Amino acid sequence: MKRVININFQGRVVPIEELAYDILKNYVESLRIYFSNEEGKEEIINDIESRIAELFAEVLKKGKSCITDEDVNNIIGSMGRPEDFEGEDPKVNAQFEQNYQQEKASSSNGHKRLYRDENNKVLGGVCGGIANYFNIDPLIIRILGIVTLSFTFLPYIILWVAVPSTATQVIGSTRKRLFRDMDEKIIGGVASGLSHYFGINVWIPRIIFLIPFLSFITNWSHWGLFGFPHFISLSFSPGAAVIYLVLWIILPEAVSSADKLEMKGERVDLNTIKNTIQSDMEGFKGRAEKFGADLKNRAEIFGKEFSNKSKINTTDYTIKTPKTGLAHVLLFLIKAFIYLIIAIVLFAIVISMFAIGIVFTSMFPLFNFFFTDGAEVILIWASILLFIWTPVVGITTWIVRRVSRTKSNSGIIRYILLSLWFLGIFCMIALGVLIRKDFRYRNNPIEDKITLTNPTISNLNVVINGYEKNKQINNWLKIEPFEDFNGDTAYVPNTDIQIFQSKTDSFEVSVLKLSNGETKEIANSLAQKINYTITQKDSTLSLYKGIPINTFDKFRNQRVVITISVPIGKRIRIDDVIGWKNHVHVGGDDNDWDWLHEYFSRKGMNWEPNTEYIMTADGLKEMYKTKNSSIDLNNESDEMKEKMEENSQNREELRQEIEEKQKEIEEKKRELQKELEKE
Amino acid sequence: MDIQNTQSQMRKGVLEFCILSIIRQGEVYPSDIVDKMKSANLNILEGTLYPLLTRLKNSEYLTYRWVESNSGPPRKYFVMTPKGLAFYESLESTWKELTEAVHALTQTNEINTVKNI
Repeated sequence: MKRVININFQGRVVPIEELAYDILKNYVESLRIYFSNEEGKEEIINDIESRIAELFAEVLKKGKSCITDEDVNNIIGSMGRPEDFEGEDPKVNAQFEQNYQQEKASSSNGHKRLYRDENNKVLGGVCGGIANYFNIDPLIIRILGIVTLSFTFLPYIILWVAVPSTATQVIGSTRKRLFRDMDEKIIGGVASGLSHYFGINVWIPRIIFLIPFLSFITNWSHWGLFGFPHFISLSFSPGAAVIYLVLWIILPEAVSSADKLEMKGERVDLNTIKNTIQSDMEGFKGRAEKFGADLKNRAEIFGKEFSNKSKINTTDYTIKTPKTGLAHVLLFLIKAFIYLIIAIVLFAIVISMFAIGIVFTSMFPLFNFFFTDGAEVILIWASILLFIWTPVVGITTWIVRRVSRTKSNSGIIRYILLSLWFLGIFCMIALGVLIRKDFRYRNNPIEDKITLTNPTISNLNVVINGYEKNKQINNWLKIEPFEDFNGDTAYVPNTDIQIFQSKTDSFEVSVLKLSNGETKEIANSLAQKINYTITQKDSTLSLYKGIPINTFDKFRNQRVVITISVPIGKRIRIDDVIGWKNHVHVGGDDNDWDWLHEYFSRKGMNWEPNTEYIMTADGLKEMYKTKNSSIDLNNESDEMKEKMEENSQNREELRQEIEEKQKEIEEKKRELQKELEKE
Repeated sequence: MDIQNTQSQMRKGVLEFCILSIIRQGEVYPSDIVDKMKSANLNILEGTLYPLLTRLKNSEYLTYRWVESNSGPPRKYFVMTPKGLAFYESLESTWKELTEAVHALTQTNEINTVKNI
């Protein structure tokens, strides 16, 4: 069923199908363009229209109720299309071609579009089309293209295939454009439009858009196996949605019947592309030779002019010509460079926001541990969607629009996106408020003493356990503050180790449990529930990798502070584990666990993992390192030697003293004996 | 492509002459001209014809008059002017010269090729 309109054609009322009317209108328009320079063009066009009207009358007389597109096409066929008209100069024809394409390009869209120039091509007409678009000499583009061939090779191929050539710019012919098909739409008609353009079944693009979503859903419950391919499919699913959204906004709807015709027109499938490229290739050799000869000629002329200029004092005219060419190229290069910079910046912004969006969306499984159900979950989803994904969509759309120079439908889309984004900011703020409420209170700190089985051991090795062998896989999901998780439990390495001097001569370990919560009671109960395991076996103290958090209690900054008191003369050593280095603090006051929040510990010292420390009266001192510190070892032995020497010196001195003293005693004895004998 | 170009050049050369000779025979309107040329095996598009006619008319080789018709809009009937007739005759003599020359040349070729056999 088609719409029929009545037109006043050459003074008569003619019923004609809407589609046919569009074709007719285009034809007359093309005639107008063709004859634009002709004297008496009005008369010619009038004559032709008059003839068409006559033919219409004949058709209607035969009993048809209205003029159909078939009739119009037949009539146009017999009248002929402008480019088939003879009796003109070939130059005029060529001029017409250029004018025509320019006009058609601008008149149908109100601005210039990028086409491949069939008349001005060496290989595929890409450079010619680009030159047309920017209104500069195609030679410049070609030279630039050849110079930067390594960069431009792939884009050239893409443009060759994708950009329509001017050969398709004929009236009423089926030039293909990408539209959204509103008649066959499910959501926005994007997939249908794509299917028409490529001539494929409509379900193929639909499935392509849907696949990532399907895998997203199936992955819902398998977060434990968070391997690499799943990550990719996750990144596709919001990605595919964004692409769909962007296309939905940019592509126009196929409203008029001419649009619909253009949408379903010439099959741009692999065959037609192949044919086009083949025919382009066939002429290539000849044209390339011609181009090369052309270049050579120009170079020769250029060289001659230059040498002439140096030999003879020529006028300004010859000097001017090469220079303007150069300035022209330079200007173009600068412009292109600036555009490139802007494009790169915008691209980077979009990519980074995209990445942020992906990261946040992929953190989804961890939301259960952090956010309470209800308002918070809604808010976090809303924040992500609105705050992060909306600008991605908006900026991408804007970029694609600018690149393809399509008209923007209206500012409405922009306003909608902007207001959504503000809503997203609002949601984020609300979320922040809610979360703060959850964490408001701190509990009364609970201190548990861990009894050591053998507190008088001479040294203590602290190790962190709980890591599975396949730690690598879990590294993908190392998102603060969670260390690891498997299903319902997440482990948070929110632990700090404090090392003090023991007041007794045995090791002491105590655990301080801290937590936040909405109310003091909740904070207290959460702290009580902290199930942090510390085990001791001989001289090894094992700390678990993190505090287990489950989805019921949620993460509310549960912390443990492990205080290890080391007696003087005893040694302690902590295993090298990533990230734990920052969690070890030495010294400080006993109840000063508050300042552990700060980055710099006021009274601590630089703690090295895998280093054995010994507690002396003045504090911890380094004993020796386990890895590559032979220098230290030497120092150590030197010190020992010194000490021994000192000792032996002392001994010597003492012996000497003793000897002296003994001598004195001997003397005294002798004197006494003498005295005794005298008497 | 080149052969097509030459062929179309040859056609273009004689189009005006042919059209004028049709009109010389009597008053005609454009679609009549197209039909007559078709029957003589020289196809021409109406879109080519109209501008040609207009040009000839502007050069005052032709005039026309409007004829009403009940089965459509009014039609233009073209007729040759005396100036047009003079123009036609000079074209005719050019054409005669050409055909004789071409004939002579192609004939000679034929004779030569026949001889070689």
